[in-house]
Amino acid sequence: MFACGHCGASLGFAGVRTQTCPYCASPNFVERPARAHQPRPGFVIAFTGGAGRARAQLAAWLGSRSWFADARLSHARVEDLRGVYVPAYLYSAVAHTDYTASIGEHYTETETRQTKDARGELRSETRRVTRTEYRALAGRHVGYVTDVLVSASQGLADAELRALEPYELGQLRRYGPALVTGWIAEEFSRDADACRRASRGAALDDIGVALRKFLPGDSHSDLAWRTTVQWESLEPILVPVWVLAVRYRGDRPPLRVVINGQTGAIAGRVPLTGWKVGLAIAVLALAVAAIVALVLRGGAPV
Amino acid sequence: MTACARCETALETGDLRCAICALPVPVAVRSSDAAPCAQVLRCGDCGAAIGFSAEAQAPRCGFCGQAMAIEQPSDPLEVAQWRLPFTVDRATAFARARSWLARRGWFAPRTLAREAVLESLTPLAWAAWRVNAVARVAWAADSDAGAERSAWAPHAGHVELAFHDIIVPASRGLSARECRRLIPHYALDRAVAVDGAAAELPDAAIDVAVDVAPDAAPDAAIERFDVQRSAARHHVQRAIEAAARVRVQPHIPGHRYRNVRVACLIERQTTARLALPAWILAYRYRGTAYRAIIHGQRPDGVFGRPPIDRGKLAWAIAIACGLAAAIVAVAVR
Repeated sequence: MFACGHCGASLGFAGVRTQTCPYCASPNFVERPARAHQPRPGFVIAFTGGAGRARAQLAAWLGSRSWFADARLSHARVEDLRGVYVPAYLYSAVAHTDYTASIGEHYTETETRQTKDARGELRSETRRVTRTEYRALAGRHVGYVTDVLVSASQGLADAELRALEPYELGQLRRYGPALVTGWIAEEFSRDADACRRASRGAALDDIGVALRKFLPGDSHSDLAWRTTVQWESLEPILVPVWVLAVRYRGDRPPLRVVINGQTGAIAGRVPLTGWKVGLAIAVLALAVAAIVALVLRGGAPV
Repeated sequence: MTACARCETALETGDLRCAICALPVPVAVRSSDAAPCAQVLRCGDCGAAIGFSAEAQAPRCGFCGQAMAIEQPSDPLEVAQWRLPFTVDRATAFARARSWLARRGWFAPRTLAREAVLESLTPLAWAAWRVNAVARVAWAADSDAGAERSAWAPHAGHVELAFHDIIVPASRGLSARECRRLIPHYALDRAVAVDGAAAELPDAAIDVAVDVAPDAAPDAAIERFDVQRSAARHHVQRAIEAAARVRVQPHIPGHRYRNVRVACLIERQTTARLALPAWILAYRYRGTAYRAIIHGQRPDGVFGRPPIDRGKLAWAIAIACGLAAAIVAVAVR
């Protein structure tokens, strides 16, 4: 427990670096010594725009959902809106990749074949066909892996953070309490080694995508690669996220929506209306059945 | 000036991360052995506790509205450190522009030189980076070497290349195509320092010229860079990759190539921000505005898109169609 820096009331900072005093509403922050699994953030991406902007973005997003979404969403009310500085790691490294692949090179051939015409007589038909010659290729790919962001929060899954990306990393600021005071700044709650492994996995996925674009030829198959990463850097940062609970039905749990506090990008799983989905499937099935019936009737002998 | 520990690229004042490899720039972390305690940020004016305002992008007091200055985003718009002097003066540029308008070829209106109204001739020192770097380049390509049934066979390799004086445009006023036509004809060894920037020269590849002729347009506006420092990384990387794609071709076996792909690990990059001279001619022909660019150091470097006589163009298309029809008719017969 800590004493409020303004009125002296007792404050708990469980899992967060900031706390608003319930007695005097003063925004307190606490600076702890960095520990192995609770590092001091190196950078912060600041919130741009306040809660009003987040509510407007949410309203626009709810209004733009598909016909299949629950209609009550458009009249939903926001139960809880919190601006949270979510802990994350920013990963970068040097990647050396050795790869092997089978590269397909197209070529054309003239092919002659015997066919029977309508009177049953044999005739020669010549045509150009495109074939593919496969050649083995082994090579190397090099590059920096940069700007891989993974969540270090137990409260915000990696998939949710990925759905909010990209963050404009050009607007990074060096961490200081002045940037987060008055907001909820969560402490790092995921193991750094686990985050490093997750970052490395994401980086390897990116390298796979880059390799597929890198290969020459008209096509390729059997791509295999082995990547060595060096000079890994895992920088603790805080990213801004609006977390909302949207109540749209009394008998259902509120819908959780997260908004990128910098760009306004929104992620959330919108509940669908069962009868609308069922109706759409029935209409589609009827249309397919009608087409099949028409085709069968058209093909029947008169 | 310090260098990035990972790629040895020169770091600049205010950099939070390396511009090439994104390695965070370390800072001295103050010792935090003292027992942690809850603290409150206070307004310097009224002493009230204050919090960060997302609207003001700074901590702001809710009572007196006072915003507290904090570190600005270290991502400034860049400004030129070096400029190349104009060696083509206004009179020469004007004469060359007139001469260029008179020789615009058959498709240009015959009255172009006579009726064109020259509205302005403005000296512009446009923004560009000059980049030096080395890079480990991995390449892959198809070539005719070792081809069997297909005309192409795949090849791959890697090579270390040094890049000098790569000019990367950062201009808002000139198009990429216009910049590409201007760049090869600048004398980069004639760069002079823009006031106060001499200390930031990243390497000695560009020397302050001693016997430089007087600038023919000393009042030229120096264009601001269109790109922030963080975005510059992608521009520079793309430019180095484009240069590498050409430079690796001697290393590819065979005589014909296609699908030349490169992956670059850029190291030891140094960047100088230049302002490069050009005259911008704005003229009007029959109510429509056009422009031409005159190179600031080579008077014969004049280019632009002049108006086209639509009547002549229609005639040319009709004649071409007639010829094509005649050839087809002869071939069919």
